[in-house]
Amino acid sequence: MSQRVSPIKRICALGPWLLVFPATAVLLFVLVLPVAGTLAESFSNPAGLFANYREFFADAYNRTVMIRSFRIAFFSTMVALVLGFAGAYMIANASLGLKRVLLILSVFPLLTSVVVRSFSFMAILGRNGVVNTALMKMGLISEPLEMLFTQGAVIAGLAYLFTPLMILSLVGVLENIEDDLYLAAGSLGASPVAVFFQVTLPLAVPGMMVGSILVFTGSLATFVTPTLLGGEPQMTLATLLYQKAMISFDWGVANTIAAIMMGTAIFCVVVVGSLAGRLAARRTVQ
Amino acid sequence: MPHMSIFARATAVAALVSLPAFVAQAQDTFVVSNWGYSNDFYEPFIFEPFEKAHNVKVVTETGGAPERLNKARIRGGVDVILLTDKFSQIGINQGAFEEIDGSKLSNFDELYDAAKNPQGDYGPAYTFGRYGIVYDKTRTDTPITSWCDLWRPDFEKSIAMPAFNTTGGPLTVMMAAKCVGTDAFEDPDAAFAKMEELKPNIVKTFSSGSELTNLLSTGEAFIGLAQDYAFPAIQAANPNIGWAELKEGDFRMMNTYNIPKNAKNKELALAFIDFSLSRQAQKDAAVELVSGSGPVNKTVELTPEQASSLVYGEEAVMSMQPTPYDKLLKVNDDWESRWNAVFGR
Repeated sequence: MSQRVSPIKRICALGPWLLVFPATAVLLFVLVLPVAGTLAESFSNPAGLFANYREFFADAYNRTVMIRSFRIAFFSTMVALVLGFAGAYMIANASLGLKRVLLILSVFPLLTSVVVRSFSFMAILGRNGVVNTALMKMGLISEPLEMLFTQGAVIAGLAYLFTPLMILSLVGVLENIEDDLYLAAGSLGASPVAVFFQVTLPLAVPGMMVGSILVFTGSLATFVTPTLLGGEPQMTLATLLYQKAMISFDWGVANTIAAIMMGTAIFCVVVVGSLAGRLAARRTVQ
Repeated sequence: MPHMSIFARATAVAALVSLPAFVAQAQDTFVVSNWGYSNDFYEPFIFEPFEKAHNVKVVTETGGAPERLNKARIRGGVDVILLTDKFSQIGINQGAFEEIDGSKLSNFDELYDAAKNPQGDYGPAYTFGRYGIVYDKTRTDTPITSWCDLWRPDFEKSIAMPAFNTTGGPLTVMMAAKCVGTDAFEDPDAAFAKMEELKPNIVKTFSSGSELTNLLSTGEAFIGLAQDYAFPAIQAANPNIGWAELKEGDFRMMNTYNIPKNAKNKELALAFIDFSLSRQAQKDAAVELVSGSGPVNKTVELTPEQASSLVYGEEAVMSMQPTPYDKLLKVNDDWESRWNAVFGR
């Protein structure tokens, strides 16, 4: 004979669903539906389901912009990873008081507008900027170097923009590495360099993955920095999307670019996330 | 009874207190879509007198031209939209605007011919501006006197030029063609071959007036292709910068009024346009907004000092080159691909 479930218990069982319902409904209407609409629009060309994509990839300029966007996002991620790791390592090994100060300092740039931060790079890398002036005063160069409005300037600006995110992703991971592991490695004769490469780095991989996803997808989507520090010769998917949507009113191409960017971001999250999961599982087995 | 009396009194007081709110709600609203930077002028000089004359509340919707055009066309709710002639031409091509009968505007006959029907039977222009070359006169011994001077080898990495998808972008292509003795619409190959030759002289292609100001003030560029609305900020940043006197002439830029097809108050919109084109409103705009606000009403009289930074007077208006956005928009996609092949790689 099956047990009867009381109505109160039934309602209680629904509790969690009722609690998440308002937020889910908001997300559905303000995120899921618009995103689905954008994706659907990109397939709505009367010439065929994939006609928008065929047209987009048939244009050599679009392909150049896409490859450039991925290249810029990749190198920005690498620079942010190196700088972020160094910063996070320093913070994780600092005393409690210093750790707080360093964390606040590293997060501080996030409190400033993206426009201001990008403009500050114009003052640093410009013809009469800090770097050129210093190099010329030191007599190392006689003519200002052309640093602004190059791909290097965009990568530097994006790395600066997103390094705090990388630091935040890594600090927690590095702090959670047990001191005993370092002691054990040292007692077994590992040099500090070997400890770093064989203990610290492998254990920090999940944090590096998460940070890299954040920086890569952020770099791919950022519009202001490539516009200000790169201009037309450094056009990226995000700036092209803005142009197509807001200036040329070419919504077909704009939706296609948005779909490509979304697809790339989802791909990164899934692939890198599963890689991080496998690495974590392997480490647990070991 | 005393309770009732207190209740009745409270109700009466509440009704009296809330009466202005109901009156305000009953007043019609009239929506003007504008950039926003000039609302300090529009509020006291245009909106307030218009509100009093027509018992209406003017509400502004602000933003960039393409964004506002899109909103007005798709979502509606705009009675009059102020745009540059490039974007009003786009709106016309999209079928977004009503035709305007000039005979219904009492001030129409006072307008310069160039302002009456600049884009067919649609909205009139309400300001004249110019697009030309500004440069730091201390940075070159030989003054710039022609658009073709932009190609001078001594100007390598010195010029800030508007990006293609701006109001001024395609006009540079037209001048490139002129410099090789042809017409860009008839021979785009020659025009863009000449643009390729300009590439070494370009520091950056910019998308906004503020970006140009920044490039000129930091010394990244000392020559800029500019519209006059941006000039006061540019000169404030670097007083050595002045306009080049070009033998081919500057381009005549216009801002236009248009009434969206889905506007709710079309008659009122006509009255608003008419009021803004009146001699007094035009003079106020010229004096208060200065650069970029050359009056379109030919009866406006300005002192030489007031007129010094404006496109003012028949001779000045007619000596400038027109901006054929109807033709430019037809070749837009082709020119954009050609431009990207030169400047986007």
